[in-house]
Amino acid sequence: MSASTTLSVRGLTQTFGDRTALDDVSFEVRPGRLTGFVGGNGAGKTTTMRAIVGVLKPDAGEVTFGEEPMTLGVRRTIGYMPEERGLYPKMKVLEQLIFLGRVFGVDKDVARERATQLLEDFGLSDRAGDVLHTLSLGNQQRVQVAAALIHDPALLVLDEPFSGLDPNAMDAMSERLRERASAGVPVLFSSHQLDLVEKLCDDIVLIHEGRVVATGEVRSLREERAGRRYRVQVEGLPDWSPDLPGVSVLTAGADGTTVELADGADPQALLVSAQQAGPIAHFGRVLPTLADLFAEVSR
Amino acid sequence: MSAAARPTANRSDLVRTIAGREISVKLHDKGFIASTVVFLVVIVVATVLPALLEGGTPSYTVGVTQGAQSEAEVAQRLGGLNNDERPSDIPAADITLVDVASVEEGLADQDVDAVLTVDGQNAMLSGRDSMPDELLTLVTVAHAQSVIGAVATEAGLDADQLATLTSPPAPQVVLADPPPDFAVPPQLVIIVFGFLFYFSVLTFGMSIAQSVVEEKQSRVVELLVAAVPIRWLLSGKVLGNAVLAISQVAIIIGAGLIGASVTGASDVIGQVAGVSGWFLAFFVVGFLMLACLWAVAGSMASRIEDLQSTTLYMQIAVMVPFFAAVLIQDDGPLQRFLSYFPLTAPLLMPARMIQGTAAGWEPWIAMALVLLTAAILIVVGARLYAGSVLNTSKRSHLRSAWAQGAGA
Repeated sequence: MSASTTLSVRGLTQTFGDRTALDDVSFEVRPGRLTGFVGGNGAGKTTTMRAIVGVLKPDAGEVTFGEEPMTLGVRRTIGYMPEERGLYPKMKVLEQLIFLGRVFGVDKDVARERATQLLEDFGLSDRAGDVLHTLSLGNQQRVQVAAALIHDPALLVLDEPFSGLDPNAMDAMSERLRERASAGVPVLFSSHQLDLVEKLCDDIVLIHEGRVVATGEVRSLREERAGRRYRVQVEGLPDWSPDLPGVSVLTAGADGTTVELADGADPQALLVSAQQAGPIAHFGRVLPTLADLFAEVSR
Repeated sequence: MSAAARPTANRSDLVRTIAGREISVKLHDKGFIASTVVFLVVIVVATVLPALLEGGTPSYTVGVTQGAQSEAEVAQRLGGLNNDERPSDIPAADITLVDVASVEEGLADQDVDAVLTVDGQNAMLSGRDSMPDELLTLVTVAHAQSVIGAVATEAGLDADQLATLTSPPAPQVVLADPPPDFAVPPQLVIIVFGFLFYFSVLTFGMSIAQSVVEEKQSRVVELLVAAVPIRWLLSGKVLGNAVLAISQVAIIIGAGLIGASVTGASDVIGQVAGVSGWFLAFFVVGFLMLACLWAVAGSMASRIEDLQSTTLYMQIAVMVPFFAAVLIQDDGPLQRFLSYFPLTAPLLMPARMIQGTAAGWEPWIAMALVLLTAAILIVVGARLYAGSVLNTSKRSHLRSAWAQGAGA
């Protein structure tokens, strides 16, 4: 996959009254990668996604997909799942998917075939003839995802696709998204579940109060922000504490001792000091979790 | 996906798909099916029932005693005259005569309704608990003729003079300005059409508004707007509901006309069929004129519960023409004005045509005015709809919808 199917968001700015919802938001969603969109409530995730799919016209900025502006033709290749969900409550599940498929330009028979297959993938074959609102919220959510996939989209923009799913459904959903990404589709999804994003995503975009505060590969972001924090575990010595200049102990316990090194301090000296105390069970840099990063930027 | 491989958005396909869903939803709506069936039943009953009730000439069997034959035969002949030969005060009745020996013997037979006996100048009609009016009138006239005949013969008048005496020639009536010959009072036709349109525009207008707010409330509109231009979406909705509304009205008018033809009321068909073309044409344009505004009434609401208040003005806009058409039936400046005013023209211009007070060119002018207004209201409505349909959080205001709808 080349960069020709990269989704680029550049300088999106949007105000609602005197509130700035988006302030110069820029990032990329690369083909074949799962990109997590993370931020607190009201940080601007939904507004950004609405601007990407063309439901909202931003005050400034532009969105391109494969270097093309988001014309109607391009927008019709997006699989979109809105924040508050959007399906006809009184329409039957299969009929609904076929209708949406046709709205996205899929031939009626092909739409029926795909809808049937998607329902089977999501374990909903027996509910195909049921009216949507008779399904549980979790199942409605799966239908919503099926609706976003019905036209074999070239780009996926999903607002909170995991909210309200049980662990099994979350696994199935992760698998679906991974599958799409492997097929070369750029996937952007927002979530509050940071552990899940950390586990699932290749890239993240971290947004806070309408500004992108971090963007890139999850691993390198964590490394970048790791600082000089180490965890040392000496067997049989849960409360081991080094006595070295420039090394301060943050926590000590059964998991070992976490220390912060000052700028001039050498981690090798720390290792040597630990080895002298006893056999080493663990020695390594502590990478901040996504939750740590999130807490840091939203402070 | 490259630009070349991407399926292009086809406007007419999309509009048809959206319209198709509107139609399919409505056709699966039990309330809609039930109201249409009830309407059809009412129309069929209304056209067929009067014919059945009035229908047919009453039949009587009359026992005739010795000496009453000639009166009985005259009564039988009068009752059996064709409609155009029979004087207006003589009722139609199909009388069967049977000879009986006496009143008692005659009435003993349950098939016999009455027994006629004549004794010189005295006639007697004997019955059981009541005497049919038609029979009484016919026998009265027959007996009077027989008495006059007897007196005239005594006075020496010949047959021609007698005939002149018993049925004096009526004067020929010539009217300089005869009113049109209506099979049904025009007022009734106007009320029926007025009610039909009122009902239909309200039903399908509400249905457009509901469909819009349903998509807003369920947020499905976000999915649709991402893939379909807002105005195409609106066209599909209006088209679907217009097709349903026009079909329903056409089916009901058709059922009425078929009902009338089955019961042989061919003069009613001639009268109604003649104007229903104009009525339908005005209905179509009138419906389209308001359709986009109904969508706006839906898009200004954010929940189904708001519809009552956001559609209020629309309900008034439909009610006013209906009551104007029903209440203002006198040919005057007010009716003339309203027959050109775009909101009331779709009902009042055809109403004037039915009353015969509109010149041939008048409906064309009124139609042009309604079309012009429709064009303006469609543009305004589409902009307001575009400006408010994505505002899902709260009730919209016209001013902000107008501003928002500018580029949408």
